[in-house]
Order: sequence, then structure tokens, then C-alpha cells
Amino acid sequence: MEDEQKLIKEIVIARLKSLPEDIGVSIGSEGNFKKAELISSVEEGGEMGKKIIEVEMSFLRGLKNGILYE
Amino acid sequence: MAFCMNNKFLLTRPNHDQTVRYISTWAEKVKSFAEKKNFTVLDLKNNRAKRKHLESMLKKQDPSLVFLNGHGGSNSVAGQDNEILVSVGDNEDIFDGRVVYSLSCCSGRELGPALVKNGTKAFIGYREDFIFSYDEKCCTRPEQDMVADKFLDPSNQVIISLLKGHEPKESCLNAKKSFFRNIRKMLSSQSSSLESSSVRYLIWDMQNLVCLE
Repeated sequence: MEDEQKLIKEIVIARLKSLPEDIGVSIGSEGNFKKAELISSVEEGGEMGKKIIEVEMSFLRGLKNGILYE
Repeated sequence: MAFCMNNKFLLTRPNHDQTVRYISTWAEKVKSFAEKKNFTVLDLKNNRAKRKHLESMLKKQDPSLVFLNGHGGSNSVAGQDNEILVSVGDNEDIFDGRVVYSLSCCSGRELGPALVKNGTKAFIGYREDFIFSYDEKCCTRPEQDMVADKFLDPSNQVIISLLKGHEPKESCLNAKKSFFRNIRKMLSSQSSSLESSSVRYLIWDMQNLVCLE
């Protein structure tokens, strides 16, 4: 289980690294994040990082379930 | 008109931080549309996006349609300077008989059901955080940000559909279709890397948009 979480974290960080440098992301009252801040949030493993992982995994699960072909 | 008992439309548009400035700027488009449709628009902008003004307008003008822009949580939505406008266990009956769209985080979880239980005709909102990406170069000119446009235009479709007289559930569905159209467009080879990398957040918002009746 711990290995799986570590792997998920690595996948999410790799995906975030592919974001363009000039993107900003607004996550409600959590604030606005630059690419580097998104990555460090995930690396630190706090609540914000968990949220970002949830969003990324939701996207990947959606792709697997054919969300783009509905 | 299916649900509009009168042609009065109220919206809140705080401006105290970047996120609410973006959504409030984009709500201007909805305001213009409502005016063209001959709605009386009650625009609680900036420092008027406060509870006392909201309650006063609801009482005096009795708008049928309400559009809340602001930060939120599972049991509340805020206005200017994050002053709470409506919350569970406090003023849940404030929107009795009205249709409400809340562009705020998580209010579809607890607040929406509580409002509907207390007489709100329909509540459209998000079960999770509303996330949008934007172009860092456009921070001071939200209306020119074509990345944020891909999020805020589908969001605006909720209200535009309602103003056209569609039922709340249909309006919610129309907005989801608009999100989906943008997702498809942004996956095309013509889209910029800024746009294509935003697809994950568009899908998130589309999936978390709910209509409660």
C-alpha cells in the first residue's frame, strides 16, 4: 500500500512537471498556484498535495473509463 | 418561462482577491446577457457583496434567480472579504422559492441540500473545489485570459440557460455539455500547451457540477 502511494505520488509529480511554465491554477479558497508550487505541495504531502493528487487521479481514472467518449 | 416568476436577477461579485476577481469579471458577461433579455439586474458588486445588502435586496426586490460568486465551503458561501452570506444552520431559508447557482467551492455538498430542504427551488453548484487554470501573463486582465475562458464560459452557461427559460436540470446539463465541448477542443492539435494541460481541471469541474431540487 505504501509502495502504491509512493508510485502514485511519482506519477502525479511527473505529470505536473509537464505543465507549461506560465500556467496558474486557482484552487478555490486554497489560493493560486504556480507550477513549482503545485509540485512542492505534492512532494510535501499536506492537504493541498492530497487534493492535487485526487484531481490528477480522477482525470486518469476518467480516461480509463472512457470519459472522453461519452 | 418555465421557472422565472419575475424578471429579476441578483448576482454577487466580490473582488478582494485574484480568484474572485476572475469569476466576478466573467460574471459581467452574464450580467450583460440578462440586461439584453430585459431582466432587472441587481448587481451586488465589490463592497456591496455583503450579507446585509443581499438580505435587503432579497426582501425588497424578490429576485427569482440568484448567482453567487465567491469563496465557499461545504456549508457556506461568502462574499466580499470572505464575509459569510449564507450558511447551514443560520439563514438556510433565505432563498425560499428561488433558483440559485453558486460558483464557489464545495457548496453542493451540504449547503445546497440544506437550502433545498428549506425552500430553495433549485440549487446548482459544485460538490468539490471549483478549479480553473489561467495564463499567468493575463492575471491583471482576466477578461482577456483565454485559458480561464475555457472554464468560466461553461460556468456562465448555467445562468444563460436559466435566463433563456430552461429548467434548472436542463441548464446544468447544458453547462456540462459546454464543458465537454471545450474539453474536446482543447485536446485537438490546434490547442496550445496551456489549454491542453487544463483539460484535467475542466473534467474535474464538469464532474462535480450538480443540480439539486
